[in-house]
Amino acid sequence: MKQTYYDAVIIGSGASGGAVAYTLTKAGFNVAVIEKGRLMKREDFSKDELAYCRRDIVTPNLFEEYHVIEEKVDGKWEATPTYDSGISFWNGNIVGGSSNFMSGMLHRLHPDDFRLKSKYGPIEDANVVDWPISYEDLEPYYTLAEELVGISGHYEPHPYEPPRSTPNFTQPPTKENAVVTLLDKSCKALGVTPLVTPRAVLSKDKGHRHACYYSNFCGSYGCSSGAKSSSREALLYPALATGRLTLLTNTHVKYLHSNSKDQVSHAVAVDTITGKEKTIHGRLFIVAAQAHESARLLLNSANKYHPNGLANSSSELGKNLIFSGGGSGQGELHKESLKEISFDALMQPGYFINRSILDWYFIDDWWHGKFKGGSVEWMFEHQNIISRARKNNYEDGRLVWGKALGERVVERFTNQKSIRFEIFNDWLPNDNCYVTIDPKHKDKYGMPVGKLRINGHPQDLKVGNYIAKKCEAILEGMGAKNIYSSVSSAPAQNLVAGGCRFGDDPKTSVLNRYCQAHDVPNLFVADASFMPTGGSVAYTWTIYANALRIADHIVDVLKKEQV
Amino acid sequence: MQRRDFLVMGSALSLSPYLHAETVTTQQKAFRQVSSLIEAVQGHMFPEGGKLPSARSMHTIRFTEETIFHPTYDKDIRAFVIEGAQELAKRENEKFLSYTQREKERALRRYEQTDYGSNWLSRIMTLTMEALFSDPVYGSNIKAAGWKALHTQGGEPRPKTRYIQL
Ligand SMILES: Cc1cc2nc3c(=O)[nH]c(=O)nc-3n(C[C@H](O)[C@H](O)[C@H](O)COP(=O)(O)OP(=O)(O)OC[C@H]3O[C@@H](n4cnc5c(N)ncnc54)[C@H](O)[C@@H]3O)c2cc1C
Ligand code: SF4
Repeated sequence: MKQTYYDAVIIGSGASGGAVAYTLTKAGFNVAVIEKGRLMKREDFSKDELAYCRRDIVTPNLFEEYHVIEEKVDGKWEATPTYDSGISFWNGNIVGGSSNFMSGMLHRLHPDDFRLKSKYGPIEDANVVDWPISYEDLEPYYTLAEELVGISGHYEPHPYEPPRSTPNFTQPPTKENAVVTLLDKSCKALGVTPLVTPRAVLSKDKGHRHACYYSNFCGSYGCSSGAKSSSREALLYPALATGRLTLLTNTHVKYLHSNSKDQVSHAVAVDTITGKEKTIHGRLFIVAAQAHESARLLLNSANKYHPNGLANSSSELGKNLIFSGGGSGQGELHKESLKEISFDALMQPGYFINRSILDWYFIDDWWHGKFKGGSVEWMFEHQNIISRARKNNYEDGRLVWGKALGERVVERFTNQKSIRFEIFNDWLPNDNCYVTIDPKHKDKYGMPVGKLRINGHPQDLKVGNYIAKKCEAILEGMGAKNIYSSVSSAPAQNLVAGGCRFGDDPKTSVLNRYCQAHDVPNLFVADASFMPTGGSVAYTWTIYANALRIADHIVDVLKKEQV
Repeated sequence: MQRRDFLVMGSALSLSPYLHAETVTTQQKAFRQVSSLIEAVQGHMFPEGGKLPSARSMHTIRFTEETIFHPTYDKDIRAFVIEGAQELAKRENEKFLSYTQREKERALRRYEQTDYGSNWLSRIMTLTMEALFSDPVYGSNIKAAGWKALHTQGGEPRPKTRYIQL
């Protein structure tokens, strides 16, 4: 049988892979997207808490595919496989990747996030560098992503809101719970300006996708209306409609094979159902497997030309892995002490809080000094029933059970609602945060698993704690009870970036400014791996925008080659 | 801390390699031998006449068995559920089932004072809550009685099959 030869082979069908597939197929090229998971359609999703949130069903079984996590415990590095800890570093492995399951609170980076080092100077023990591109280079693609994938919101000028080339969002904000009245008022009293959260959720129908029906179970669940702006709904379906996209599902790429020093020739993959190995050939290869898995794939693709991993002449591959830094906190609004809004309005299920705060993106404090800060998102505690019922059932160190347990849980569900904030700040890249491969630990396909050494910088905690105090004050102003917050260096497994830094110097970066490998011109990395610093917002809008940006460049490369 | 250490901490037994190596059917037999004891513990945690439906009326023991023997369930925890019950039976000289309510309370609180026992009780609590508050398609939470007790309901669309079988 004749081997199909694609113009481009994309590994991973998530946010980044989908964006590249969209642009290339629309430009007339034949593309294969390889995805290790299966295709789940809109009508296949449900709000099954047990399956989606408590078992590994849309992610691999940890006894078969896992990571090894190395963290410092009592001053010593301790490595724990995730099948042991039970903490998965997979985020969604079906067509569309993690973007199917995101909560969709999105922000653009601020122009200063592109030049952190020149703006704030070096920080001890942190590998902060400026980006090779500026906000102005990415702005058109933020705008394109906003329109294309569908981001709803409302623009209000704010000193730390990045400039935009269009006046406002085309999708108005999603509906809001009445609690925003309390939140806005409390913020105002404290001199804080709350902003409407841009959300990767449609408030109005868009093409084949329906508006959000406020299902009350958004983050961690697939969307049954197509409202959530996942790669699958927003990008892959339109790409499939061109007739030029081949979607290879249940196909796990083990490594990339090179026949010569400066070219990848094919991907070696395994059919996850039959176990049969196959090769997929193309002119260009675009890795989009989510940051830590992309670095692992390139390390596993070492060959005689690239003994330390594909495209790793800089020895930077896998280094400077980052997560979203920060922390979270929450407080309870109780029926008997609720003012200004009715309890029924508070309990209305499904509507969003839709508020973020950028006031502390850059901090200039008379006591603490000047430093880069972070952003805050407000939300209700996740509505999952089992996990909410199971929470806080200890008294004096003893498990509460019997009738007392019933009273306690019913009270929690019927007389109060918890409101929560999440802080996003830079996770400073440092020498002790990176991905390698561990030859002792292999997955069921016989390939070394990713070993992630994880270390947060003390500055991250300083920023998180500073902002947490401010948010606690807002909750107090709203009349919330039992307020607490927690800021730590525990990584957000679902918000990961770095590992294949982009830069102009091949000695200090893996990728060039177009996310093309310095060493191997027909290889690109499209996910958040390129980010040398992460900014103080969740990554996904930037992932969509950057993937659309580099896809334009890839189209140029393919066109030139055709000539 | 590693999970396996966490599961066995404080145990005289440790997760026995013997039970571990057993096939599911032998494990299933071992489970059946302790299932009335687990059922009694669940009944003590979720009794009749409380604000939540009782473990007994919702058949949470059936859910427990089906759940821990499902391929998606962690095999270490499956073994732990069985061994923890065997350990409790042994500590109480196989008399737990004939105890009065007060005796059961005392026995479970005693067991809770060991790290191993406290981990096991916490696991049984989790499994029972999963039974009562998961979608009715899983067999407990009959007629959504668990959700109704909390004046809440699962999201739409509800699952048509267990564990997303497409
Ligand atoms: C519960 C949850 C909530 C989130 N909320 C937010 C939010 O509010 N805001 C925000 O900005 N971001 C959020 N995110 C993060 C967001 O989903 C990710 O940043 C984004 O999807 C990453 O895109 P990606 O292309 O890098 O990876 P993914 O979207 O994860 O796609 C990678 C794909 O590659 C596939 N793959 C990996 N390895 C291989 C291989 N070897 N062979 C074949 N296929 C492979 C995977 O199966 C996967 O489908 C959330 C994520 C989760 C899980
Ligand atoms: S319907 Fe709305 S709330 Fe529900 S999953 Fe889709 S986007 Fe999220």
